[in-house]
Amino acid sequence: MSKKIKAAHDAPAERSAHDDHRPDVGLYIKVFAALMVLTLVTVAVSKLHLPRPQAIALGLAVALVKASLVGGIFMHLWGEKKLIHKFLYVTGAFAFLFVITMTDGALLVKKMTQRMPVADQHPDEGGEKVSVSEAVALPPPAAPAPKTAKKGKAK
Amino acid sequence: MNAIIMDNPDTHSGISNAKLGVWLFLASEVMLFATLFTSYIVLRMGATSWPWGWDALNVPLATLNTAILISSSVTIVMAYAKAYDKDKNGFQLWMAATLALSFAFLVVKAFEYGHEFKLGIAPSTSVFYAVYFTMTGLHGIHILGGIIVNTGLLYMSTKDEHWEHPLFLGRVEGAGLYWHFVDIVWIFLFPALYLL
Repeated sequence: MSKKIKAAHDAPAERSAHDDHRPDVGLYIKVFAALMVLTLVTVAVSKLHLPRPQAIALGLAVALVKASLVGGIFMHLWGEKKLIHKFLYVTGAFAFLFVITMTDGALLVKKMTQRMPVADQHPDEGGEKVSVSEAVALPPPAAPAPKTAKKGKAK
Repeated sequence: MNAIIMDNPDTHSGISNAKLGVWLFLASEVMLFATLFTSYIVLRMGATSWPWGWDALNVPLATLNTAILISSSVTIVMAYAKAYDKDKNGFQLWMAATLALSFAFLVVKAFEYGHEFKLGIAPSTSVFYAVYFTMTGLHGIHILGGIIVNTGLLYMSTKDEHWEHPLFLGRVEGAGLYWHFVDIVWIFLFPALYLL
């Protein structure tokens, strides 16, 4: 066994596994400041009453940046071994697949249960512009017949 | 013998078994919270109305808790830095700070829950509150788990034999990874429940 390999065997295993992640205290402080600022930005933006889609997109984007900073710097994912990255890619792909499938299912159910105009259901046949509710609605109750004069008794 | 084995002789992947185990555990945790977030999305899409967080929950307290949790992420990574340098006192100081912040988070959360219960709000009040209590409750349980692990590490650090153990630094890093994951979950929970 060569001297280099023997040295690797004699060295504490955990220490050699951590040599890639030499702590950088200055960077940690900068990330901490960035996370605090981004938190305040998220809260401030939520007070602006943006339309829901824009607000959700913005909130999600800021949360993703914050999560990336924590994962990349604090969890040392930047510079981590590729095997860990592969684990996370697979996990992320399955989580994404799960979220998309379920969300798509929820959208489908919503579409199936909401009332659609007849014309939208049969566009090729030029259906009438009458909603389903109107099409299946019962006719309005007939107005009460006007009272007529009592007929005389039949003789 | 190839270079990978030379990097870390106890594995064939170049990654210690403990670290690999923690990452696999975190992958399963990602799926757990993915199911909860999916439930949140589906229930929200199916709801006829969804309250604005500022009206339904205590946003200032939740913002304070966010700041507390982010701070605790920094203190635990500082504890790791001190453990890396074999600085026993520094490690104990930063780990104690992490524990103090963890308890502070739970105390603030308890105030928030207490105020809601006083108003008669419970998980059965509405779909929104059912989702809110389930997700924040599970997150709170994860905080408790982290407190137990970090307390154990703080206790272990008082004994010199652990500092001489080659696996001690890996344990500190594993606990840190878990704690950062809990922080990331809150980073998404906070806007999803309180702000959007």
